[in-house]
Amino acid sequence: MIPALLSLALVAGAPAPLTPEALRDHYAGVRSLTADVVQVKQGKYWARPLESRIRLQYTPGRVVWETLAPIPSTVVVGDAGMTVTGSDGRPRDAGPVSSDPRFAAVMRFIRALFAVDLPAIERDFALSYAPGLLVATPRPGSNVQLFREIRLQFDAALELTTVDLETATERTHLSFSRVERAR
Amino acid sequence: MRWVALFRREALILAVCGVLAFFARGVVLEDDPIRSLTHPDGVRAALFDHYQEKSAFRGKIFVEFGDLLEPERTAVAAALRGAGYEEVPFFEPPSSEQLLALATLLPADNVRRLTSGDALRARAREVLAVATLPGGDAYLTAVQTDPLGLGAALLARLAGGAGGAGRDDGPGSGALHVYRSPQPLDYERVERVYDLLASLSPRVSFIGADFFAVENYRAVKHDIVVCSSLGLVVTLVVFFALTGRWVLLGLLFFGSIVSYLTGVLAIRVFYGEIYAVVLAYTSTFVGFNNESLVHLAGVDLDRRSRSLLGVWSAIGTTVIGFLVLLLGRSVMIRQMALASLGGMAGFLAFLYAYRPTLRAARFRGFAWPKVTVSPAAVTALCVASTVGVVVVGVPRLETHVEAFRFTTPTLDAQIEHFSRRLDALSLENVVAVEARGTPEAALAPLAAAGLVDMRAHPLSAYRGPAAQAETLAALREAYPAATAELRALLEEGGLRLDVPSAGSARVQDGWDYLRALGAIGPVRWMDEVAGRHYVIAGLRAGAAVPPGTVPLSPKHHYDALLSSSSRELAWLFLCGLAVMAVYLGYLQRSAARVLYVFAPLFLSAFAYCAWARLTGATVTIVHVMGASIVIGLAMDYTAVSVSADHGDVELSKVLLTGLCTLASFGVLLFARHPVLRDLGVVVSIGCGIALAFALFVRLGPGARAAA
Repeated sequence: MIPALLSLALVAGAPAPLTPEALRDHYAGVRSLTADVVQVKQGKYWARPLESRIRLQYTPGRVVWETLAPIPSTVVVGDAGMTVTGSDGRPRDAGPVSSDPRFAAVMRFIRALFAVDLPAIERDFALSYAPGLLVATPRPGSNVQLFREIRLQFDAALELTTVDLETATERTHLSFSRVERAR
Repeated sequence: MRWVALFRREALILAVCGVLAFFARGVVLEDDPIRSLTHPDGVRAALFDHYQEKSAFRGKIFVEFGDLLEPERTAVAAALRGAGYEEVPFFEPPSSEQLLALATLLPADNVRRLTSGDALRARAREVLAVATLPGGDAYLTAVQTDPLGLGAALLARLAGGAGGAGRDDGPGSGALHVYRSPQPLDYERVERVYDLLASLSPRVSFIGADFFAVENYRAVKHDIVVCSSLGLVVTLVVFFALTGRWVLLGLLFFGSIVSYLTGVLAIRVFYGEIYAVVLAYTSTFVGFNNESLVHLAGVDLDRRSRSLLGVWSAIGTTVIGFLVLLLGRSVMIRQMALASLGGMAGFLAFLYAYRPTLRAARFRGFAWPKVTVSPAAVTALCVASTVGVVVVGVPRLETHVEAFRFTTPTLDAQIEHFSRRLDALSLENVVAVEARGTPEAALAPLAAAGLVDMRAHPLSAYRGPAAQAETLAALREAYPAATAELRALLEEGGLRLDVPSAGSARVQDGWDYLRALGAIGPVRWMDEVAGRHYVIAGLRAGAAVPPGTVPLSPKHHYDALLSSSSRELAWLFLCGLAVMAVYLGYLQRSAARVLYVFAPLFLSAFAYCAWARLTGATVTIVHVMGASIVIGLAMDYTAVSVSADHGDVELSKVLLTGLCTLASFGVLLFARHPVLRDLGVVVSIGCGIALAFALFVRLGPGARAAA
């Protein structure tokens, strides 16, 4: 009896098998998504590890990245480019940098990442699956070569829990909570 | 062993073929026969090469997405990526030194505004906000290069001056996507991209040398397969129908394989790359070979000297015809001549091994009615044709680059679309103007004549030294404090950036300005060659290239080069004719006989001039090349005919070789590549006239007596 209960407990605690089909089904047709994110960044340009709290809102074609602390700001990544709103409340266009195809590819990737849009991610990344983990590495010739590796962790209900991004100069860790999705 | 002893000759030939194939291995095909042309004037060649090296169109393709649906865009992007294309920005981001070198082009007020406290705080907020995005470090790298945002201000100013590139549909707008081509090109994959884009046209526009290469590749692949196989089959059928001898057919077939290998090897000795169109041209070897085979086979021993006279006349004129082509400047034409000479040598060497078979061969003579003309009549015909040419006039000798390139309605539509765009940017027709003073002074006469629109030239955004000095003073005064303040603001947010000093900012003269602009932009605006300065400018739409300027646009450059090569080749052709006349005069010992040999050529020349006069057609380099092949092939008919005193057997041989030649060159009429098709037309008409003349016109006994 005890071994049986133990084995049941072990099975219940093990990460769910992650398959492309399961992820696609789970994230297909998402009309909106909101989440609270805690981000830790460290790297060449950061004097010390920076922890920030972010409110993320996703709708198809648009991501609102609202930094609540330490310095409030809002970045909107949309089809038309990127706008930045600072604490003064005035939106500013990011200018010519957003028309650079490499930067535009990063913006596209950000939108695909938060929607877990697998077909869109697969355009630029090769994906490999492990229990509870999806690892993305850039395809040769893609415009998102600045990333070395991206690791997406999912819980048993296939909800995104953490994302780790690594570039040549920076490591970023994102933890998601209060994720709400609508289809 | 018995079999080896029996077929030792064939075994030896097989071994030789293997060795030849070994040496000819690794042939690299080149699809564009135009690129090899180099201007004989070193300065012009250097100016053109420098401009093209910098050209935004080299090694790139451009795709302008119109109102494509998202799935269609996705499919195009996937196809491009699958073919190895990498999207790159139209303007490469400049380094901090390049930016600061051009900073004095901004008005001083602009610099003051960018270095004001408000602007710095807004900039810091923007940087800190974007830096928190995943992948934000790529943005920080750009900020470190240009902390104050001078680049955006400069782009707005310079792009606005350089032909309105900053407008909504300009290169920087994002409507135009630029992709770096994969190296080497995988034709099959590029074909998939091309077909997809073509299926979505006109909602998407696209241009790039790769697409022309794909169409040329398709055309030449079709021509190599269709013309080679069709030419070989038709020639062998005609040959067998008239000879009924399997042995001769076998000699022609296997000898043609040997000649193909030796022809390719002859090119390989001198050139690393072989033009695909030349490879397709080798399909005509079977036509040359059947002439050599027929005239060398079954030589009538009773009339040996007459027969050999015909053979040497025929082979000699053919060799002279191709030697003349070797002297031309076009590498493609030289390769064709080398292939022909190499192929001929290989075939004759092959036939040497089968001398007994050739001696044993017999040809049946056919008889048909002929017109007998006196030497005076032949002379009169030649003189009348010459007078006729003088009266109607020699057609203009010029070649346009289009004569060498295979194009399709799809590509034509793309050219038209992008020509309009380039025309709007004044980059469709670009010239280099030599300057002894400032670049502005050099362009002033062209601007005054209405040939150059100075508003579309980057010099319109140039500011004089006094205005620049004011900006430089503002920059030197405000830049160090501004960058220090920005750093402090960013450090408060946890960011540390190394910002460049303003040391490279300086007052620029017109030449420095154009040089710096060319370094960061997609177009070169000045050049220095052999110690001389040149300013580069686009002419207004429809303006002719002014004298004293150097055209740099590929079309104008290559049109001029090809036309000059055509004239050069035409002179060589005439020299070749003179050498042939001397050679035939020595062999035939009769002016009337030599005139008889040349008579079809006189007649053809007059007919062509009259036709050109009526239709306004011009003579291109391909026509001259075709004429050289005509004198190499078709003059053999009259030479053999007159050498053999129009004997039935020799005339039957002429009929056989003529029909085979018409078959092998006639199939070129089905070629897609314009060079091969034009060649087929010229040679078929020239050989047709000469064949009819040799078969049905007999030189009267007066000439024989004289000889």
